Amino acid sequence: MSTPRDRSFSMEWFYLALVLIYPLLVYPENALFRWTEISLGMQLTYIFIYAILALGLNVVVGFTGLLHLGIAAFFGIGAYITGILNVPAYPFQIGFFWSMVCSTLGAALLGVLLGAPTLRLRGDYLAIVTLGFGEVTRFTLRNLEEITAGTRGLNPVPPPVLPAALAPPLEAIGILPDWSLDYRLFYYLTLGILLAVILLLRNLERSRLGRAWVAIREDELAATCMGINAARVKLSAFALGCGLAGLAGSLYATTLTSTAGPDAFDFNRSIIMLCCIILGGLGSIRGTLLGVVLLIGFDNILAPMLDGMLQNANINPNGSPLLTFSSWKLAIFGLALILMMRFRPEGLLPSRHVEAELLTKRPLGHPRAGTT
Amino acid sequence: MSRFVLPIVLIVVLAGATLAGMLGSADGDPNLVRIVSSLPRTGSAKAQTDTIVNGIKIALEESGYKAGKFTLEYADWDDATAGAGQWTAEAETANAARAVRDPDVMVYIGTYNSGAAKISMPILNKAHLLMISPANTWPGLTKPDKGDPGEPDIYRPTGEVSYLRMVPTDDLQGPLGAAWAKELGVKRVYVLDDNEVYGKGIATLFIEACQDLGIEVLGHESIDSKAQEFKPLMATIRSERPDMIYFGGTTQSKGGQIAKDMIAAGLDCKLMVPDACYEEAFIESAGPENVNDRCYVTFGGLPPEELAVREGPGKAFVDKYQQRYGKMPEGYAIYGYEAGKVAVEAIRLAGLKDRDAIRKSGLSIENFDKGALGVWSFDENGDTTLKTISGNIIRGGHFQFVKLLGE
Amino acid sequence: MVTCLLWADMDSAGFAQAFLQYALIGLTNGALFALVALGYTMVYGIIELINFAHGDVFMLGSFLALTLIGALAGLGWNWDDPAMLCAGIGMLLVVVPIFCAAVNVSIDRIVYKPLRTAPKLAPLVSAIGVSFLLMNVGLLWGGAADRHFPDLVSRQNLLGEGAAIGFTVKDLMVVGITVPIMIALTLFVRLTRLGKAMRATAQNPVAAQLMGINVDRVIALTFAIGGALAGAAAVIYGLYINTVSYQMGFQNGLYAFTAAVLGGIGNIPGAVLGGLVIGLARAFGSAYVGERWTSALVFVILIAILVFRPAGLLGTRTREKV
Repeated sequence: MSTPRDRSFSMEWFYLALVLIYPLLVYPENALFRWTEISLGMQLTYIFIYAILALGLNVVVGFTGLLHLGIAAFFGIGAYITGILNVPAYPFQIGFFWSMVCSTLGAALLGVLLGAPTLRLRGDYLAIVTLGFGEVTRFTLRNLEEITAGTRGLNPVPPPVLPAALAPPLEAIGILPDWSLDYRLFYYLTLGILLAVILLLRNLERSRLGRAWVAIREDELAATCMGINAARVKLSAFALGCGLAGLAGSLYATTLTSTAGPDAFDFNRSIIMLCCIILGGLGSIRGTLLGVVLLIGFDNILAPMLDGMLQNANINPNGSPLLTFSSWKLAIFGLALILMMRFRPEGLLPSRHVEAELLTKRPLGHPRAGTT
Repeated sequence: MSRFVLPIVLIVVLAGATLAGMLGSADGDPNLVRIVSSLPRTGSAKAQTDTIVNGIKIALEESGYKAGKFTLEYADWDDATAGAGQWTAEAETANAARAVRDPDVMVYIGTYNSGAAKISMPILNKAHLLMISPANTWPGLTKPDKGDPGEPDIYRPTGEVSYLRMVPTDDLQGPLGAAWAKELGVKRVYVLDDNEVYGKGIATLFIEACQDLGIEVLGHESIDSKAQEFKPLMATIRSERPDMIYFGGTTQSKGGQIAKDMIAAGLDCKLMVPDACYEEAFIESAGPENVNDRCYVTFGGLPPEELAVREGPGKAFVDKYQQRYGKMPEGYAIYGYEAGKVAVEAIRLAGLKDRDAIRKSGLSIENFDKGALGVWSFDENGDTTLKTISGNIIRGGHFQFVKLLGE
Repeated sequence: MVTCLLWADMDSAGFAQAFLQYALIGLTNGALFALVALGYTMVYGIIELINFAHGDVFMLGSFLALTLIGALAGLGWNWDDPAMLCAGIGMLLVVVPIFCAAVNVSIDRIVYKPLRTAPKLAPLVSAIGVSFLLMNVGLLWGGAADRHFPDLVSRQNLLGEGAAIGFTVKDLMVVGITVPIMIALTLFVRLTRLGKAMRATAQNPVAAQLMGINVDRVIALTFAIGGALAGAAAVIYGLYINTVSYQMGFQNGLYAFTAAVLGGIGNIPGAVLGGLVIGLARAFGSAYVGERWTSALVFVILIAILVFRPAGLLGTRTREKV
């Protein structure tokens, strides 16, 4: 058991080193940009943010086995709390750090308020309640114009204040101390928070609480018999997952300098995040990260790249819609989802727990306990 | 072992890219200038943006992809994603950042949605990059006191104007639409909007004008543009017996469905819609029989149908478009064309591959007559001096020009 | 705001009339939601899969109906002639459901069947993938913009021209087609051998298999019936709402799925009830709360109902087996 774990660890160090030094090398970013017109560094910043969101969802769906279809709402709530606490239109202006804390706590609190009356619902009924909550949140953000500015969104959200002492060392390594001119500040900020979240979840996963989550997922009845307070354990997972989504939302609004509009937090977003974690491997942190890289990477990096290449290839002088990438994007995305699930139904990097479980295949009609 | 394949590939790619980055020049070709556009190319607004892109292409083709000594290159960027089916803040931010980073990009044509412009304007402004919008009509993007508090300065971190548009804004269109309604004998109007920046803005301006003109506003509701039908709402409106319904919204935000649900609920009063519904897709989605002879459309500038029968540069453009693409241009095509023309002119006038020089020369354009809209200039805010708003009616399944408004 | 004030002003007769009008609109719309919801609920009842692609099968059906109407008109079919109109609609109600049933069964065969023993959420992702794929098919088929569906059925008010309440031939058509379909479905599931097999499979697939029921065939049959219902709904939707677009499957699917859960997922009368509740909630929401809150209201009602009835309106609480 120990060898594969050690090996996978060394691989992780490798990838971590890669994302850490990539922006400092400067040249690859510039060369990639010249070839593909995509700023990989900036897109990676968004991927880090989505990774935090997906990890939050993974706590609820992956660890605890509660199907959550409204994570985007908590993402949006986080973004709007940060927006309200920072945009010039409001008198608060409390700065990035405290608004990040407020977003996290605020989203977690709302998660608890939603979860407390509904967590006793059976799996798919809970799913639809979270879906409904997501839609209600979106419409509320949209309609309460006096507070949220409606579809216009709140902007501009100011960047964090960089401590004056940090500026000279940053300049010494070639990073401009201006958040909007150099993507690397947000890159390292989001990466740092993502790493902290991963560390937190790693430790939680092995803690008493983490084992309680998994126990609930595997067999709620048995877990309760063993003395686990199911309601409290589920609620804690819900609070943590929603809080992480709020944290991601706060980073999103700060990086974008705007809360975007309510439609950025719709059901589609929740669904894509869910696809990320299932595709990567439910309950697995590495899998979640991989799923986010693949799916968000497709939409934000690969699709515009291919689109640009098709245009530059000049095979489409008459503007036929059949020869543009955007006409096929949905189909390619859909087909990719279908094929990946067909050949890796347990996800690309399943957690060892699920893997072990799959060795004993579930016969048809004998539903896995805990999910019904 | 297979597990090492990916890391090795990554290292090789990274090393290759580093090498290429060190060897390649950072500034690119000194005689190459890129013009990019950022419009929602996936999802429901695609039909509209297709026609804008076609307009831009015609403008660039006419210049032979040359502006002075520079060779021009054009790229059509998408600010919508497949997942969202419409423009997203991230895609628009990414496009703006991409334009700023690319040393060859000198002009940024976009956006289609005013909401998207709010996001990319400050980013491009910091880089002194000239941004030309063929479609944004939210007044606050350029005009002080016409939008939200703080606008438009929040979009201009450098304090300079870097954003130009050739579309007349909603603070002209809304009131002129109300004045036209009064001329048509409307006394009672019910106002709907789609709750978007554009639709809500123009509906509010329309209502203010109605109150000044003495038209009774029976009610104002925002619809959910993702709803499939509005029959209950129409039943409510019917009981108010309006002479006209004004819908501030677009074809994509269910303008067509409003028109047909009015009929379905037995409301055959007039309907007035703003320029975003000036496209064949609106008539097609509403069903011609539901809008004929009762749907009034205001449009910034002269519509293609009218240009085609008036001698002048407009007709030349419409003819060329029909020849090139085999169909009539949509309303916004001409603004795409004009934006392309302005971009070429700004680069030519500047004569330098320098963003700030091109921004200044763009802003200084006066009495511009190379496009299809006639002779016009930019004012100090970056707005067009053209104040032409036309009134049109749908007749026989087509738009028909009625009159110029405010004249 | 305005509607609220108006409500206060109105005399009680006017209020009753308006109320009745909203109820009629709500029930007609609800009947359509119900028809789509049935497909969700039946599939869920048997394989516990939220079939996200169901709404998109419905969307493809409406595009087929639109294409067929155009093609027939091109061949000289006179849609204005009442007899030919009825025959035409009758034919659409046969061809489109068959097409949708075939699509739905193929999806099950190709995509879901290999995943029967996979972890529970894997087919969910496949279903989302199929949904995207079908949306793209719709995009290439019908274009990005909303398409007008010809207004073939008369809008003549059955209660007399100029009556305060509108109930048109079109509304009657919706009710007149959906209600018999639902009754037929209920009878089929209750009374026939195949219906019995379906119920048995839903209850316990393993036991059903042991009893000699061909579970795969029952599942295929369920997808076929669900698809056919979506096809019928697509034709009626087109004729009633008169707009089709490649994105309509998503939104209608969301409501239909909500209806299915609201009624108690897996429960056939529950799906019908759920659909009607949603239709009514939308109509009354628009009238008495405000148009922009209608969609939010549907979900607020959903959450409230599930908090108090955790298994939906007609669902029974199943005790967990140990």
